Amino acid sequence: MLEFSTSQPLTLGVELELMIVNRRDYNLTRGSDDLLHLLGRRPHGYDIKPEITQGMIEIGTAVHSDVNAMLEELLAIRALLVRTAEKLNLGLAGGGSHPFQHWSDQRIYPKERYQLVSELYGYLAKQFTVYGQHIHIGCPDGDTAVRLTHYLSRYIPHFIALSASSPFHQGVDTLFQSSRLTSVNAFPLSGSMPCVGNWDEFNDYFTGMADLGIVASMKDFYWDIRPKPEYGTVEIRICDTPLGVDTPVLLAAYAQMLARQCFEDGWDDISPAHYLTYSYNRFQACRFGYDAVLVDGVKKRQTSLLEDMLDTLNGLLPHAQALGIEAQHNALRERILQRRLDSHWLRQVYDDSGSLSEVVRRQSEFWMYEAPALSVN
Amino acid sequence: MHDLPWQSLALNPLAAFGILLALGVLGGQIAVRVAKLPGITGYILSGLIIGPSGLKLLDQQLIDEAGLFIQLALGLALFDMGRRVDLRWLRREKALFATALLSGVITFLGLLALLTFSGFPMAPASLLAAIGIATSPVVLLELVRESRAEGQVTERLMASTGLNNLLSLTVFTLALSFTHFSAGHGVEAFILMPGWLLLGSVLLGLVAGLLAIRLNVWLGGGKREAQTVLMFGLIALVVGLSAMLKLLPALAILVFGLATRNLERGYAVAEPSLSSRSSFFFVAFFVAAGAQLMPLPLASLWPPAIGFVLVRSLLAAGSWWVAARSNGLPPRHGALLGLGLLPMSGSAVILMTMGALTLSAGAAEFSGFLLSVLCLTELLGPIVTRFALRCAQETRD
Repeated sequence: MLEFSTSQPLTLGVELELMIVNRRDYNLTRGSDDLLHLLGRRPHGYDIKPEITQGMIEIGTAVHSDVNAMLEELLAIRALLVRTAEKLNLGLAGGGSHPFQHWSDQRIYPKERYQLVSELYGYLAKQFTVYGQHIHIGCPDGDTAVRLTHYLSRYIPHFIALSASSPFHQGVDTLFQSSRLTSVNAFPLSGSMPCVGNWDEFNDYFTGMADLGIVASMKDFYWDIRPKPEYGTVEIRICDTPLGVDTPVLLAAYAQMLARQCFEDGWDDISPAHYLTYSYNRFQACRFGYDAVLVDGVKKRQTSLLEDMLDTLNGLLPHAQALGIEAQHNALRERILQRRLDSHWLRQVYDDSGSLSEVVRRQSEFWMYEAPALSVN
Repeated sequence: MHDLPWQSLALNPLAAFGILLALGVLGGQIAVRVAKLPGITGYILSGLIIGPSGLKLLDQQLIDEAGLFIQLALGLALFDMGRRVDLRWLRREKALFATALLSGVITFLGLLALLTFSGFPMAPASLLAAIGIATSPVVLLELVRESRAEGQVTERLMASTGLNNLLSLTVFTLALSFTHFSAGHGVEAFILMPGWLLLGSVLLGLVAGLLAIRLNVWLGGGKREAQTVLMFGLIALVVGLSAMLKLLPALAILVFGLATRNLERGYAVAEPSLSSRSSFFFVAFFVAAGAQLMPLPLASLWPPAIGFVLVRSLLAAGSWWVAARSNGLPPRHGALLGLGLLPMSGSAVILMTMGALTLSAGAAEFSGFLLSVLCLTELLGPIVTRFALRCAQETRD
């Protein structure tokens, strides 16, 4: 039986998985231990931890209700990480996948959970060397969390397009804007939460899976969005880690506006019919970005993702005003109108240089040193 | 009556190279599978067994004739090592630069003191101590490749090796100048010649670096194969030119690699590293190095030779242990890094020949001693360095 901890509604937190690369050929390198050792020499109070393979590191913010404060914290974490990585001559980079690393070269981090995952999933564990952003949104109770999870599933293609930054995989242009999700799809417990109606039903499902010995905790579900009862949040896990340090805050602001809309409207339209086209729409966004065509299985119509995002943003304006995040609302609108995709930027660098090492060098410089587009108040 | 072909069989250089490779690989595999030693130790032992000091399957002439491949291997390794010296990093991470340099200077002074105390005159002692500063880039690169080591100890070991090779070659040139001066040779011998060696080699490396960057930019990143072949060609050219111009090939190639890493648009030069595609050159290199080992002088010179190796290792391990914290390493990892610097540079034999030529008296003792030291470091070096990297938990095995 899972207890859902109460948290203040609409509070936010983000986690970012980052690449650790060498500065010689910009391939992934075994750097998380060295980074953590050096970071650990002085107390810093930030949430910085290892991930499944040693070419990854995860950072997480504290709980925020103000996205500007979140950006401020992210910049402080970045400054600390950059100072440390520079001493070790390591590069840090955003992006959903490393363009040319070979999965078999990766080393599982020596932590019991990761070793167990590696034993259970074999090569999938090393192939899971992909980098995502997770957004946590505070919910007052489990029932609300279940509703919000279903509500946000309709907007999954939006988050994919806004964060898509993994066009290359194992040295090849995939033609996808986000190829990272293909690595996640391979896991048997990936996809979306089943169509449960409230927290009790969710608990029944979880208990059933636990009794069958399939899962031991919520961590075993690799869903795109999942309730996180111990934090009292809903966690969106679909996003690639964006290239810039400020984009994650825009994505969090978008999630906050959507969540407010869900709560204020008292949305409760939970139905399996909404999931009929879930995987197809998800694929469309991964493959085509803003050019995706979404299929509404209930209304039986097709719309362009770009139009759908602009319509959604128009509807969210009152919520942005209520939350005091009009600047982020405008920035998102600009990004969509300019059809700005991180994956396009990466392809452009590759077209100019012909070198994937150069692509990673530039994306590393971007994450480590680029000033945020929206200044901190 | 004419001899039939098989009645007057003599190995030609290609057949000699084939023997080096085939027996080297077999020896390497036996070392890895049976004795759990590094493959390099197996290659060197194979060379020792089939070489002039062993079964005499290969004589000195054949080893010399396979020299082309061996010089190319050394060139590839030194180029790669030069590329490991990241000046931007060294500017930021002054602790690494200072530690590598100080460790080299301390090693030089310690070895000089030991050698003069052991009865060597100042001139050969300074030449030997200068050679003792450098770690073998070929051994390190091959060990890191074989054990797939990654991490701070490995990175700093590599950067430190690049720097100690540069320092060693510079100090060696100065020591050479001192040797000429003490022998009463003219100004040309003790100033112009060393100056030519040093500045000429650096200049050749820089010009080659600039040329390589320009050509690689022109080729474009989409032409990786063409870039790789071009770099092989340029490395061979620099090795050949520095021999023709009587420069220090090792210094020229190191500077060449360093320039391509650090000059503007250096990223255009092909990666991944060339040395990872050149393992057959390295196998031949180690077998030939093993064949050139002469254990005979060791029989009489083992006490000072062991002293030399011990002092060299202790000073390096001690310096890095002291400086570990400022390098962001636990002290134990610092000591392991210093220990990992044990293998002596592959260009030591070339330097030995140059040194012996300038020493009118005592050339035989100088060469005999260096050969004894090389015998120890070539056999022990790879084992100790792999042990250090393993203890630092940076290898995969």
